[in-house]
Amino acid sequence: MVPIQIEDLSYTYPSRETPTLNGINAQISPGDFVLLTGPTGCGKSTFLRTINGLIPHSSGGTLTGTVCINNSDVSTQPLATTCQQVSLLFQNPDDQLFCTLVEDEIAFGLENLGIPPDKIRQRITTALEQVGLSGFENRRIAELSGGEKQRIALASICAMQPQVLLLDEPTSHLDPRATRDILNIVKQLNTDLGITVVLATHRVKQVQHLCNRVWLMHEGNLRLDLPKNEAFQDDTIFHNLGVELPDSTDTTTPMSTKRTSLQHSNGTILGVHKLRFQYPNSDINAVSDVSLKVSRGEVVAVMGENGSGKTTLLHLICGLLRPTAGEVKVDGKTTQQIKLRKFAGKVGIVFQNPDLLLQAETVRSEVRFGPKNLKVKSDKLNVLVNNTLTQFRLSDFAEEAPYSLSRGQRQRVAVASTFSLHPDIFLLDEPTSGQDARHLQSMMDRLCNQIRQQNKTLMFATHNIELTQKYADRVLLMHEGKLIYDGSPITAFNDQELIEKCSLTF
Amino acid sequence: MFICKSKLESRTKIIIMMIIGCLVILLDSPSALLVCFLASILLVVSSMPTLKQIRLLLIFLFFTTWGLIYSQGIFYNAFPRTVLITLVPVDFPLIGKWTGGIHVYREGLFHGIIQSLRFNSTLVIGCYIVWSTQPRDLLLALSQLRVPGALAFMVTTALHFIPVIASEAAAVIRSQRLRGARYLRFNLFASVRGVVNSFRPILAGNIRHATNLGESVESRGFSPETSMQRTSLRSSQMGRLDYGLIAVLSLCLICVIALKVLYFCYANGIYYGSWLRGLYTFTREIL
Repeated sequence: MVPIQIEDLSYTYPSRETPTLNGINAQISPGDFVLLTGPTGCGKSTFLRTINGLIPHSSGGTLTGTVCINNSDVSTQPLATTCQQVSLLFQNPDDQLFCTLVEDEIAFGLENLGIPPDKIRQRITTALEQVGLSGFENRRIAELSGGEKQRIALASICAMQPQVLLLDEPTSHLDPRATRDILNIVKQLNTDLGITVVLATHRVKQVQHLCNRVWLMHEGNLRLDLPKNEAFQDDTIFHNLGVELPDSTDTTTPMSTKRTSLQHSNGTILGVHKLRFQYPNSDINAVSDVSLKVSRGEVVAVMGENGSGKTTLLHLICGLLRPTAGEVKVDGKTTQQIKLRKFAGKVGIVFQNPDLLLQAETVRSEVRFGPKNLKVKSDKLNVLVNNTLTQFRLSDFAEEAPYSLSRGQRQRVAVASTFSLHPDIFLLDEPTSGQDARHLQSMMDRLCNQIRQQNKTLMFATHNIELTQKYADRVLLMHEGKLIYDGSPITAFNDQELIEKCSLTF
Repeated sequence: MFICKSKLESRTKIIIMMIIGCLVILLDSPSALLVCFLASILLVVSSMPTLKQIRLLLIFLFFTTWGLIYSQGIFYNAFPRTVLITLVPVDFPLIGKWTGGIHVYREGLFHGIIQSLRFNSTLVIGCYIVWSTQPRDLLLALSQLRVPGALAFMVTTALHFIPVIASEAAAVIRSQRLRGARYLRFNLFASVRGVVNSFRPILAGNIRHATNLGESVESRGFSPETSMQRTSLRSSQMGRLDYGLIAVLSLCLICVIALKVLYFCYANGIYYGSWLRGLYTFTREIL
């Protein structure tokens, strides 16, 4: 087992002037399970990349200080040597899997290390057993679920028999059941094989019972490095940095974010009738016989396991996808009969990855883009843009390039630029992805307030029960493309069988 | 992406592509180019493509063939040229005078056929490689052929991400339309700017995907410098079929180069051998 010694570690990216890591000192004992947390953009991912040597080996920038594994400095030893000691699991399985077959994916790292084929086969079998996917050797990766893909990614690094496992937000794309599975596997590797684990996440609640040490980062500094028992005794620092706390069960609803009896809807804005959709290369229905009606002023959560059809449903509602059968009516008009451009101002969507919406050179022009396309007059346009920037607290960044902002700020820009069109139906796909608690709450508070005030409709897809409890008037539960529940969140979450079926239990 | 079966080793496929790429540049006659094209088709057929892949290939071939023949037929500007059809007569108001008439030329169509055979042969081979080779095998093959590591990885990731890029591009364009964007306008400058702006998120997405994948493979010990010490779970030795095919195609390439050089010397008065007259005729008529 290898100890890790980090001394005075600082790192500045090539394009930046301020350091992303700033004089970090820490050490990890063999067999530790470290929870690394902190607000979005605090430097967690960068820190992990310095521990496994990707920084400086695969990046420019300025690195000072040392990370020593078994007394060897990772910045001077070859990456191929470090990767046999330290492995890194990334956030999105689709971005890290390289092969077509499971067996080839797991073999890839071992082949790079020059391990003989007969030993590779043994290690593949063992690694698949470790992640609970024995017999998956010849399965095609494209056919696996999100959770299975992440387990394959984990198997592919476990096969290299690392002594240290680094995990960078490994569950942010997964539903609660897949999250639980991955975390249980990681814990088992830690307990049974003594593998040292450093897991970076915003979701402290999910990991705190597994770890024995907590690192809290803020603006490139390690603000807290304590055993778990001591770390959570004083939660002030977590509160101040907007980090989720293990015992935070705040699902109370501020008056402004839940609909009150005084706020009456003005009839149906969205009607979905026997909606069915099948992707071109698939034999199964991604959405199957879904019918529902949504009134003006409602905030609706769409929940379900990975691949249950949540995103597909949102895309069908806004006309990004055309139904295989059935129809979607927005304000009484069938989406199939109208050009997408004519929907501007009626329906707006923010994707799970907000970057797909950001195309302008400044935040101001991004927010201006939609209303300008709708030919809003110049004087009104300026007022509208300024108001939107203020509402979403973006005035300070108005002249900056959207891509230069942090992930949380980029999402706010995407939301503001869609909101500036004041769509009747606002669709938000998985707003929790990559967001810390404070950013998420701030954005949802603002959005829900505006939606309520203007009697618009919000539909958001999520795995997060707390978010639904806090903001939604109604929840739609999807399972294998079908709508299996449509009603009050409280009733839904009291039905254990229902939430188990939708993989919402952790 | 569905991976077809192929008995050839990845390096062989790349070498075949390079040889056929050279041949289609050297050859001028439609019959010789047709042989190259048919050989490429034979390779695709041997990999047993899916119906969807066949349909996609036929669509590609239709549009490239039609586009090249049609454009060459109209815009052919070498002489002599024979007008087959007049689309816009010279005396047609405005456009006729301005363009000098728009015609379809016989020589242009013929030239278009030659160009489309050249283009389609390489297109078919490209599809064959993409459809029948796993990204990791392609990366390994390129590394073994001493292609610089960075370039090899760029080629492989580009192919790996084609479906992802296509779906993200569609999402970006549709979401911009949902924000009222119009791509086709009378104002050409605005149209171009709209398209360029839409490329920004697509490009950013590609860079992010490629960076993540690069970090993932490097974290698992992939390095161009150590690719020669790499082992392989599956046997990736070149077999008799590989060596045989490379030998035959290389011989063809050498012969074509030799014949073309001889013919060039003859045509430019550098060297003439009466005993080579048969070869000159063969080169002129067949190659």
